[in-house]
Amino acid sequence: MSGNTGSYISSCVFVLIAHIGMLLNVFFNGNYDSLTQVIILSGAVVILDVAYFIAMLFFRQTTFTVDFLLILVLNMSVIFQSCFGEVVFDYKHYITCIISLVTCRCGYLLCRNHKWLREQRKFFYIGIFILMVVILTLTGSRGMWISLGPITIQPSEFIKPLFILACATSITEQQKKHKILCFNVVYENIALFGLTAAICLLQWWCRDLGSLPTFVAIYAAGFLLRICYPKAKFSKKKLVGAGAVLAAVAVAGMKFAPAYVQDRLHVDIWADKDGNGYQQSQALIAIANGGWFGKGPGQGDLHNVFAHKNDIVFASISEEWGLLYALMMVLAILIIIALPLINPPRSYFHGTMSAGISAAFTVQMALNIFGSCNLIPFTGVTIPFISTGGSSLMISGFMAGMLVACQSPTMRSPHLNEQIPKRQLYPRRRKA
Amino acid sequence: MDSTNLILCAVAAACLDICAMVLIISAYHERKTGGKRWNRITSFMELADYNTVYPLGCDEILIGRHASADIRLADLSVSRYHAILTVSDGIWTITDMGSTSGIFVNGIPVSQAQLRENDIIKLGNRQLIFRRRRDINVR
Repeated sequence: MSGNTGSYISSCVFVLIAHIGMLLNVFFNGNYDSLTQVIILSGAVVILDVAYFIAMLFFRQTTFTVDFLLILVLNMSVIFQSCFGEVVFDYKHYITCIISLVTCRCGYLLCRNHKWLREQRKFFYIGIFILMVVILTLTGSRGMWISLGPITIQPSEFIKPLFILACATSITEQQKKHKILCFNVVYENIALFGLTAAICLLQWWCRDLGSLPTFVAIYAAGFLLRICYPKAKFSKKKLVGAGAVLAAVAVAGMKFAPAYVQDRLHVDIWADKDGNGYQQSQALIAIANGGWFGKGPGQGDLHNVFAHKNDIVFASISEEWGLLYALMMVLAILIIIALPLINPPRSYFHGTMSAGISAAFTVQMALNIFGSCNLIPFTGVTIPFISTGGSSLMISGFMAGMLVACQSPTMRSPHLNEQIPKRQLYPRRRKA
Repeated sequence: MDSTNLILCAVAAACLDICAMVLIISAYHERKTGGKRWNRITSFMELADYNTVYPLGCDEILIGRHASADIRLADLSVSRYHAILTVSDGIWTITDMGSTSGIFVNGIPVSQAQLRENDIIKLGNRQLIFRRRRDINVR
């Protein structure tokens, strides 16, 4: 740990207090048959808290706030998920949360040195290509899951961090312009555009339309930052053109969308309460039943509805814990996203990476919450860190680790031995 | 829901709220530590000319005449994108970006050079000094 001992200890204490407050609510207010489940849940949450606080001390970081928010939100999700319907400790979700914390550390260690990462950029493209081939060959045209015995994997989730890294590495290539006919082009931009188009087509093909806006948002964040990058020279005409193309693609996508998507776009949930509008109508009823302070942990009825732990998890939390608490949970995730504004990244690479991660998390949360509330068509997108799902939690943890890396970067050259000898001047070639 | 349960819900929500507030405050606290660490990485250096000081707040700093440059020198003898300053392991390097008038470090024309304290960098007609950071009141 580098400095800030006081703020480190106070953060530990207040994260513990927040969890103990929730556990007290479960103890006095929850629906449980045996007290053992509450004790197991409490013990598991506190042990994970303390273990992570100690583990963080072994990493030389400048900032720890993302880590504290991550453990706060993950243990909140363990408590939420263990309380739906009845207080029973959800050990499966607990294990995935631990894996998520481990992947967070991996994300931090891998992404803190942007100079090294920039040299590895071809591997990001190769990784994405391999994952796309895996999706094409193993999931089938109507599926997005690969079943491996007791566990299922969603390979499209693994593309997200690689795609963010590809966007971030491309930012510093903007000065390498090449002339093709009468146009000055950057090869990296063309490659990235092609990659985005390929990913979108693949998502369309395997009917994973919920993830499509997330990829578009990551690309859009990278695109906007490329405009801001010095010497990128984007004209207003090009920007208007890009906006027009995006709008045209969106309109065409809606017009030629498959029948089941059309149904979801135009469904009246109250007229079709037992059909396409079932989950949304039940979710809205549950939010209304919960009110501001909820029915109490384990007292809700939404656990009878399919996907109450992931697709409509916001409504499930609102029903049992109240709308106020659900909104504060959203606020906690938004603070994770907004931290780069408080502690700004010191390189264009980390700036772009932060923007990509923030865009991905924001769009995922918006799709889930607004979908549950019938403000937009319903999708099967998860809320990062809260919904169940191994692939989603692992990748969310990894992306949180990338955010930590943006806050505590290593500004070291990967080739220390190849450093230019100090004070060596390179004579400038004079033009003839 | 009886009043005890309502109080418990409110207490849980208040705990989370206070925790979020404490974490935001500690993030602001860490910002200061991050700033100090950045100063160590950059070896407490800055660029200055007669009356302006340019802080070096990023690991890649573009110097030029264009409005999008990080350090803007409004002089026609300076190219739109003249030179780029980069830092690695506390060592600052200046690289020419194909400018018309070139870069001179202590009077020697260079395309790339590592900078030392009190080096005079000449870009077109503009001269900048690469120096250790000073107190704001010291000229």
